[in-house]
Amino acid sequence: MSGCEHAVEYVYQYIDDEMTLTRRSRVTMHLKRCSKCTDAFEFERKLRAKIESCGKSQPPPELFDHLRALIQQERNTGDADC
Amino acid sequence: MRHLALLVGGVGTGRRYPERMADQANFERDAMEYAPQLYSAALRMTRNPADAEDVVQETFLKAYRGYGSYQEGTNLKAWLYRILTNTYINKYRKAQRRPNEVELGELQDLYLYRRLGEQSGATESAETTALEMFVDEDIIEAIESLPENFRLPVLYADVDGFSYKEIAEILDVPIGTVMSRLHRGRKALQRKLWNLAVEHGLVEPTP
Repeated sequence: MSGCEHAVEYVYQYIDDEMTLTRRSRVTMHLKRCSKCTDAFEFERKLRAKIESCGKSQPPPELFDHLRALIQQERNTGDADC
Repeated sequence: MRHLALLVGGVGTGRRYPERMADQANFERDAMEYAPQLYSAALRMTRNPADAEDVVQETFLKAYRGYGSYQEGTNLKAWLYRILTNTYINKYRKAQRRPNEVELGELQDLYLYRRLGEQSGATESAETTALEMFVDEDIIEAIESLPENFRLPVLYADVDGFSYKEIAEILDVPIGTVMSRLHRGRKALQRKLWNLAVEHGLVEPTP
């Protein structure tokens, strides 16, 4: 397997930081020598960051009140059972 | 509440000193800070604000009732996500009656990167610059287009920042399954983004 194929196979484990140090350093060494793979890894990292920021949505402000009321109601029901 | 017994022992039990169960009186104080993340994840699952709020409310109710079985000091965020996941699956999978497991077919590694690199006139690092053409709605559409068994791992890893091990515990599947679904899900998401770019006339379709 070429260094590029090996690096690409591990791209997600690499950017997710889910590799053993030994495996990770083998990929890091390849990236130092290979600008094409460095470019591809950078692309995957940017895309992941974009998914992270776009995938987050703010809840409606009343959500917190609804949740507190729900728990309060449940607590009262529980007390009544005692 | 029988299924909550499965949660005893906690998710990501890292500590080894004597177990201490959480006090229900502290539930609000401990859990409320996770409500926004849980809502956001529920919205990506249900694709609908009213359903997302329903799922979060049911999750909080179950979590409150089962809080006495949550082991203090373990991973509360993962514990709540596990209840969220089970709530969503029980509520919606039955209703939709669609298969739980969907296959995606073979997809090339670095799918989107390679497609963008094939564009005429693409210069060095043009692919990364090209990512800017995707607006928030495109990314959300691509996430929400994924079949559920791929969407949840992608959401939990990329948006919520969980580790593979945490995702395995939340979804109750082996870590190898998490990795393969996550990798395949990400490639499918990239294919969807590419298709959106073609539909919007932002790129030239390649054969």
